[in-house]
Amino acid sequence: MNPITPIINGMKITLKHMFMKPVTLQYPTERPQVAERFRGLHGLKVSHSKAKCVACYLCPTVCPAKCITVEAAEDSNHDKYASVYEIDMLRCIFCGYCVEACPVDALKMTGEFELANYKREDFIYSKERLLEK
Amino acid sequence: MVNLTIDDKQVTAPRTATIYEAAKINGIKIPILCHDKKLKPFGACRMCLVEVEQMKGRQIPACTTPVTEGMIIRTTTPDIVKARKMVLELLLLNHPLDCPVCDKSGDCDLQNLTYEYKVNSNRFKDEKFNHTIDYNNPLIERDMNRCVLCGKCARICDEIVSYGALTFIDRGIETKIGCEFDDGLNCEFCGSCISVCPVGSLLARPFKHKARFWAMTKHTSVCSYCGTGCNLTLGVKDNKVLTTIYDEEQGFHKGQLCVRGRFGYQFINSTKRLTKPLIKKNGRLIESTWDEALELVAGRLKGGTEVAALATPRLTNEELALFKKLLLENIGTKNFDHAAGFAHAALTDGLEKSFGTPASSASILDIQKSDFLLVIKTDAYETHPVVGFEINMAVKNKGSKLNIISDKRGKLSKLPETNTFVHVPGSEVAVLNALAKIILDEKLVSAAAASVPGYAELEKALVPFSAEAVSVQSGIAAADIKKLAYEYAAAEKALIIFPIGQGYAGHAADLASAVANLAILTGKYDKEGCGVLCLSEKNNSQGAVDVGFYAQDGALGGLQILDACSTGTVKTLFIAGENPLTSYPDRSRVKAALEAVEFLVVSEMFLTETAAMADVVLPVCSFAEKDGTFTSTDRHVQYFKAAIRKSVQIKSDHEVFSALITLLGGTAPTSPSATFSEIASKTPGYSGLSHVSLRKDGAYAPVVITPSLVVTQVAPYKTVEQGKLAMVTGSALYHNGTLSQHGEGPMHVCPEGYIELSRADATAQKITDSDMINVSSSTGSMQLKVKVSPRMPAGVVFVPYHFSESPINTIWSGSPVTLVALAK
Ligand code: SF4
Ligand code: SF4
Ligand code: SF4
Ligand code: SF4
Ligand code: SF4
Ligand code: FES
Repeated sequence: MNPITPIINGMKITLKHMFMKPVTLQYPTERPQVAERFRGLHGLKVSHSKAKCVACYLCPTVCPAKCITVEAAEDSNHDKYASVYEIDMLRCIFCGYCVEACPVDALKMTGEFELANYKREDFIYSKERLLEK
Repeated sequence: MVNLTIDDKQVTAPRTATIYEAAKINGIKIPILCHDKKLKPFGACRMCLVEVEQMKGRQIPACTTPVTEGMIIRTTTPDIVKARKMVLELLLLNHPLDCPVCDKSGDCDLQNLTYEYKVNSNRFKDEKFNHTIDYNNPLIERDMNRCVLCGKCARICDEIVSYGALTFIDRGIETKIGCEFDDGLNCEFCGSCISVCPVGSLLARPFKHKARFWAMTKHTSVCSYCGTGCNLTLGVKDNKVLTTIYDEEQGFHKGQLCVRGRFGYQFINSTKRLTKPLIKKNGRLIESTWDEALELVAGRLKGGTEVAALATPRLTNEELALFKKLLLENIGTKNFDHAAGFAHAALTDGLEKSFGTPASSASILDIQKSDFLLVIKTDAYETHPVVGFEINMAVKNKGSKLNIISDKRGKLSKLPETNTFVHVPGSEVAVLNALAKIILDEKLVSAAAASVPGYAELEKALVPFSAEAVSVQSGIAAADIKKLAYEYAAAEKALIIFPIGQGYAGHAADLASAVANLAILTGKYDKEGCGVLCLSEKNNSQGAVDVGFYAQDGALGGLQILDACSTGTVKTLFIAGENPLTSYPDRSRVKAALEAVEFLVVSEMFLTETAAMADVVLPVCSFAEKDGTFTSTDRHVQYFKAAIRKSVQIKSDHEVFSALITLLGGTAPTSPSATFSEIASKTPGYSGLSHVSLRKDGAYAPVVITPSLVVTQVAPYKTVEQGKLAMVTGSALYHNGTLSQHGEGPMHVCPEGYIELSRADATAQKITDSDMINVSSSTGSMQLKVKVSPRMPAGVVFVPYHFSESPINTIWSGSPVTLVALAK
């Protein structure tokens, strides 16, 4: 076979595709439709203008990546709350076990998937950042 | 032994066992909720139901039913499982089930059983409890909503602690555990009730929400407060000791602790701990490096006998032995001591003369084996609370007879059928001599006594101590003294217990010998349940004596060292962990000495008032950060390992002494266990011991006794003077030495010094509780808070010595009795 033929055949396919409708999502100009059960960034649910989390430590206990840090404290009504709630998104494997473990339905995983950042510290999500807005 | 069949297995069990115990011995697990092996069987919860064939298959509680020959028992038939499930359903019916916020979660018997029996739903419906939660005290939270009414808390508080703070109140569905008048809890805060509560009804507030049970690593250790030598389990997370955890298998005390051991651990991770060496420059202590500090110290230690040292008996045996080696071999001085010199004299002088060895003849384990207990000073409970529990149990469960000779009443006086003979302060040795005289005169002595050296001399020396004469001096009726002597002599097994320590100047050599005389005369010193138990004050006081860290062969003792500093004969003073400015008598004398000495080195965990005066302060670690051994008051040598890592800039005293030995050109042992082998080869009773052999339960170093009868000196104290009161010093229940000031628990309940006085004196002087009054003696005056208490006899006041903020050595110069005047 003429050695040029396969190259020409290849170029043909390339040219054909140049004029076809693209199959991939044109991110960031196009946004994906995130499924309801998608496991993205965590969110701490709020009820009566307080985080629902009671700092039971079940999510840090169950987390296989050991990326959740909880510190409990007692508020002025002697109720338990999380004075610290942090997730290290660099280590999270988005398994969703934490959500499943939560006995008070205080944790969810949102459709938020754009988690890129410039500094390592910025991947550690504090309670403030995780609270649902 | 009886033979029985449990779950088709042929087993044997002791005749006295219950079905539960029989099953447990044979490795069969029966679930329990209200049973505790330390307490009397109760049978409240019905979790332990089993079927016994001979009882027509009826379900009976295993924890209260004794075994009989040939019993055929089944522990897990479908019917039993159903019944247990129902018990759980009924318990969970009103239970809040707030495990996510309950600190017991993970260690909760109810939670574990619910899981084990798969109680996923409840057939019944009812309202949840709505009891008010008791937050009234800073140490124990009581949430009766979670209570399963097992009664363990009330039972332990009564049977072992003998306080009786808790009881069932109300009836039927309203039943709950309550305190006096259904009020908040206010007790001695030993925390025993927390330890046995199977659920989260009783919780330690200092640990509230600090960590989950499963997230902590558990490290066994030995308590570093008093000489009882209780074993501890420390709960550690992120290199911090967060709590003490109950382990019913630990120690002779089965995991029981007192308020200090249980709630006083916070000094370990205190933010006030020293973190860097400090060197005094231009009158101020400046942070420095170890190299510079050690170099400087080593240079000043090259002074031979111009160097002296004081060490705290809280250091390990290894550290004390190494310090001694440094002083003797590398520096060349014999001038070292601990506990102000006088506080160990009962052992090193008194019992050394009487028994030929500076140790008690009895152990704590003898208390419950004894029929007759004689306690000198009710304070024995305050100084050694867990020994106090043993006394409680001996009296309440074993029927031992308790007699107390004391200058005030106390908690022990409240035990059933207990006699407290309150004497004029300072006259205890005379009373003991009177007892000895009666025993001699009435021929109550044992056959062997007459051949003991010193018999004739003692007989002669006791002539002035007739019951009548001593009665006048002590205020105890002559008839009582006689009766006591007869009872002591008649008892099959009799044990005499007395505390020693820096607050008990009167409990020195003469008292110890007077006590030992009684035991030797009646032959009650080397048998089980008999003897003399001298309760040494600190965790390793006995160890300090055993390794010989005290002034011997004419060397300067604790207080003489201070005087030698003042006169300039001692130029360098090394203080390892002691805080003489607060705990040694006569503050101005101590202060003058510390100011006068040319060079003062202090190794400490905290910048104490003594450390603040130093030229060099070396930061050292706590017991939780090092390995070593402590010897408890009854020569129980116990090994413990570090529970946490120490911070990089801190050294253990062992490392400090090793480094100094090296700097002075000697060879230092490589590790504490190497030092221990040296101790084992030199110390009587320690031979054959090693860190490895001690690892499991430690070992009791045997005490070999060569009895001698010793003539004691009775110093008369002036106890009455117009307008003055007799002040006695000692320990408060919540504290031990000055270290407990850094424990949050002790400071929550007993934050400051006080003066305890009788109602009669309070009324006479128009003083009420909590008043601040001025107390003055011939050496000084100070302000103290008043505590009016029914236990004090008129004319006598008591002050504890632990507090840096109210140092009682401003008014106390080391006499067992000090005359003081009170003014508003
Ligand atoms: S499991 Fe839920 S309640 Fe518990 S700590 Fe995690 S988020 Fe909070
Ligand atoms: S007591 Fe036990 S069962 Fe009850 S809330 Fe606490 S952990 Fe849960
Ligand atoms: S802390 Fe001790 S004294 Fe107080 S209620 Fe509990 S067991 Fe009794
Ligand atoms: S408070 Fe605890 S120990 Fe006391 S009865 Fe209730 S469950 Fe039992
Ligand atoms: S202070 Fe003494 S009695 Fe209390 S727990 Fe510690 S060793 Fe035991
Ligand atoms: S454990 Fe036997 S009745 Fe409670």
